[in-house]
Amino acid sequence: MIQKHFRELSIAVALALLLVALAVFAPNFFALQPLLSRLTAQTPALVAAIGMTLIIVSRQIDISIGSQFGMCAVVAGVLAAKGVPLPGVLLASIGAGAVMGAINGALVAWLRLPSIVVTLATMVTWAEALRLWQQGRLLDLPEQVKWLALGQTVGQTTLVVFAAALVIFAAWAMRNLAAGRHVFAVGNDAEAARLAGIDPQRVTFGVFVLMGALIGIAAVMSIAQSPQVQPTCGDGLELKVIAACVVGGVAVSGGRGSLLGVFLGFLLLANVNPALTHFHTQAYWEKAIQGLVILLAVAADGVRSKKAINPVVSAVQ
Amino acid sequence: MKSEIPTPTIHRPEACVLRALLARQETIIFGVLVLEILLFSAIGTNFLAPDNIRNIARHSVEIGLLALVMTPIILTGGIDLSVGSMMGLCAVVFGMLWGEAHWPPWLAGCAAVTLGAAGGAMNAALITRLRMPPLIVTLGTFSLFRGLAEALTGGSKSFTDFPDSFLSLGNSLACGVPVQAWVLVGVFAIVWGLVHRTTAGRAFRAIGFAPEGARYAGIPVGQRIALAYTLAGMVAGLAAVIFISRVGEARANAGTGYELAAITAVVLGGTSIFGGTGSVYGTLLGVAAVAVLSNGLSRILSISDISRELSGMLTGALLLVALAGGALTKAWSERASRSKPANPIKPEPAADTEQPPSNR
Repeated sequence: MIQKHFRELSIAVALALLLVALAVFAPNFFALQPLLSRLTAQTPALVAAIGMTLIIVSRQIDISIGSQFGMCAVVAGVLAAKGVPLPGVLLASIGAGAVMGAINGALVAWLRLPSIVVTLATMVTWAEALRLWQQGRLLDLPEQVKWLALGQTVGQTTLVVFAAALVIFAAWAMRNLAAGRHVFAVGNDAEAARLAGIDPQRVTFGVFVLMGALIGIAAVMSIAQSPQVQPTCGDGLELKVIAACVVGGVAVSGGRGSLLGVFLGFLLLANVNPALTHFHTQAYWEKAIQGLVILLAVAADGVRSKKAINPVVSAVQ
Repeated sequence: MKSEIPTPTIHRPEACVLRALLARQETIIFGVLVLEILLFSAIGTNFLAPDNIRNIARHSVEIGLLALVMTPIILTGGIDLSVGSMMGLCAVVFGMLWGEAHWPPWLAGCAAVTLGAAGGAMNAALITRLRMPPLIVTLGTFSLFRGLAEALTGGSKSFTDFPDSFLSLGNSLACGVPVQAWVLVGVFAIVWGLVHRTTAGRAFRAIGFAPEGARYAGIPVGQRIALAYTLAGMVAGLAAVIFISRVGEARANAGTGYELAAITAVVLGGTSIFGGTGSVYGTLLGVAAVAVLSNGLSRILSISDISRELSGMLTGALLLVALAGGALTKAWSERASRSKPANPIKPEPAADTEQPPSNR
């Protein structure tokens, strides 16, 4: 039990320590309204993390999600500014994300190109296309989009509950639905999965489309929180989300990982920066700490798998 | 060996050489480059003026340096996403050493190159010792190096007022050519020699084809990989110094996105992203093709804001097309060779088409 869930447990302990330290040294960190605001601000990235977990478990990676996010947010913003009702905006955003995901997925699944290079190329293509389109303009949003037209507190609660429900459903689906198991099978060994009757190319394609659709949802959740849309709002999202996955114990070699671990890793990382500002440290360290945490998690994985690879050595030790 | 060459197929080698030459991505990218030059000199004004050519050379040196050292890494089947961030960190450290510690520029430059080498060695250590995928390791250092650069400068501080003698490195001519272009030529010669004329270069390819096989063949895989990544870090430090001497300012965002431009140039130049095959001169052609495209567009479209984004977008799209084209031709040639009836008696001609020896 402890061996199997070692990663989840160790992150939970680290998270608990951080929260206890905050409770002792900065009790106003837990004041209700700011806490709810901070949680809400993190929901789009959390939804993106669900998709990234599936992508990494299926042995791929997608670093174009930041650009996809910006593109979806601007598409949604433009439509909302034209007076399209909220469901229409949401559908358009999901559609835009799914199309961008499908392009990635088609290139990776059927042309067998490495996902890192494909998504590197689409990342820059979408980002520059967006800059060409918007020229750095901020889009003003109409009132009815803000907080999904529900008022601040109810809107924030709705977003948090929705994101939590999505995570719980995805965690259940990854464990219990055939499609979820297929993702693990393909990530573990695509050839074995094929021999077992799974079409690895279709699974890969589907995972990328799902990633794009989730980014579409996340983008709408994000623009509901601000009066304007910034075309650069997705910058750095991919790193944040990949960091959460790696810290949460998703193996970058595919086939292994749990959404619970990702969720805990996400909370841990999301609390680092507010904690830094609460302890009056400069916020400029965020990126460096993110990088350091990724490397530490990777190093921990490396040391563990090295032991696991060589059973004779580990038995002697 | 002589008796194995069958006389009836004497016309074949020539056709094969021609076909192999046409199928090589280096030839294609050379054609693209020539086409670009013809197009831009026909449409744009003064595209081929010496000043403009010097301008292209001056602006493509940093990306060119990164692309050259990225080539051995991609040959081993790896990737280094951290070179752009390394440039930012080296630029900030160079600026601090000069502006706050009052080191002379040449000494600060040496420190920047050393720091780059240390960063590259760190990547290599994580990759070889812990056997972690280069992608995820360099994604971590991509964030770490840039974050350190931002933390050191508090997000906004930059260093200026460098002495003229230092700025002349990036802005003056030597023998009619921008000074830094000579640095690029020097690094090209070193990397070309390393990849195409030494056993280490063979080792890079062997590792790219099959790391485990390379190990059994007695190649010190860890050392060779470490060499490639350390060299990349070192040259990233050098590129940072050249960048500062060109723009006259050391800031944390130096080299943002350069890793993508470098990878694009390498892939356009015909190096397989899966490792194993590729060439250094192809990379140089790729760098030239991207630089000419961006310069030519900026001369045609008078609104320079649009041209920068358009050329960035086209570079990304070009990379996708090159990748997809490469994958499709590979798939087609595999299908073609599979659909041909197998000839169990004479397998030699098939082997010849794979590697035309007369090409060398």
